[in-house]
Amino acid sequence: MNDGLGNTSVASPDKPLPGKPAPVDGRRLRSERTRRLIVEAYMALVRENAQMPTAAQIAERAGYSVRSIFERFPDLTALRVAVTDYAIAEARAYSALRDLDADRMTRIKSQVHQRGQNCERWLPLWRVLTSDASLSPDLEQRITMIRQLIVMRMEMMFKPELATEPESDRRKIVLALEALTAFESWARMRELYGLSVEQASVIWVRSIDRLLPATPD
Amino acid sequence: MQDVPPSKPPRIDGRRLRSERTKQLIIEAFLSLLRESPQMPTAVQIAERAGYSVRSIFERFPDLNALRVAATDYSLAQALALAPPRGADGNRQTRLRSQVNTRAHTCERGIALWRVLLQFADQDETGQLKQRVARGRETTVGRIELMYRPELSTLTEEDRRQLLIALEALTDMESWARMREHHGLSFDEACEVWIHAIDRLLPPTPAVEASATADAA
Repeated sequence: MNDGLGNTSVASPDKPLPGKPAPVDGRRLRSERTRRLIVEAYMALVRENAQMPTAAQIAERAGYSVRSIFERFPDLTALRVAVTDYAIAEARAYSALRDLDADRMTRIKSQVHQRGQNCERWLPLWRVLTSDASLSPDLEQRITMIRQLIVMRMEMMFKPELATEPESDRRKIVLALEALTAFESWARMRELYGLSVEQASVIWVRSIDRLLPATPD
Repeated sequence: MQDVPPSKPPRIDGRRLRSERTKQLIIEAFLSLLRESPQMPTAVQIAERAGYSVRSIFERFPDLNALRVAATDYSLAQALALAPPRGADGNRQTRLRSQVNTRAHTCERGIALWRVLLQFADQDETGQLKQRVARGRETTVGRIELMYRPELSTLTEEDRRQLLIALEALTDMESWARMREHHGLSFDEACEVWIHAIDRLLPPTPAVEASATADAA
């Protein structure tokens, strides 16, 4: 069977022959790659300038035209949502739960190390995302999801201690831990007080240790 | 040389008074719009709310940045007037409740303006907004130091510094907003979270102070 373009095909791409691998849709692959490069260009610019980049800057960095961006994303807010999804996936991949069964201090240090690293890596993007998130329900939903993931992680890491408290007190502790280890808290320590990563981590470790109830025997 | 009769009161400059009043009404219109919507209002919206023309605004403020600076000064003065330190000589629980209540009211009133300040601080070439942000933070930390002086005095300089940074993060404007907007806590519930956490973070009240406040009671 000839499609008139000189290409011969024996089956529809949707219906590969049994036992034969599904054909690779090159155009779709290229389009996905372009999307990813645009997203990566956006993230690189945010890290460098700590500001929301313009479409022209993103296009230049990614090596595409501005038109290419808007062929793939209806507007810059949609691009920000895609960037957030990419960032969430990457952060999850690098934030595997470690030391869950370790002693109290090891778990606190492990949690602080991971959270500090994430703040260090994602703070510029977080600021850009949250600066006017109220304009986009999709963006607000992602921000809520990020916060939930942070809280869930803390609940897992400090499960033994939190389990000793009644529900109402447990909630209070988790909310306090969330405030203490927020992006804004990390930013203040690093930028306003000029603390090193190690110094800032020590403050979090000590504070979490005080906030948490005693570890059960 | 002509002497002014000593019994005569100084002349009131009615035009200046009216102009000051107009400035105040423009600032209040700006603040009320901010409380309703987190976005920076336009000059047209501010003028409409204040009941003046756009020209009247720019006759009194060279640009919107100058209006933001003036609104911040107005709000800081108002916050100080509405929240004098109360209960600084009380027992630990009294001081905790007093400080948290004052801080919570400040956050409740000031979060919208605070967000605008942070959003525009980097763009403000005069540096005035950053200066106000720093002053707001210094006032908050100063109040914490005053209210928890007995407990903080038991710590070494370095430990006190670390604890103040943690307390500042815990009682940050965004921490309050997260509890109220994201977690849907009532004013009183959010206060309880802070009281509970500060109580855990603070070292024990020194015995002399504790017995003195017990005697006073």
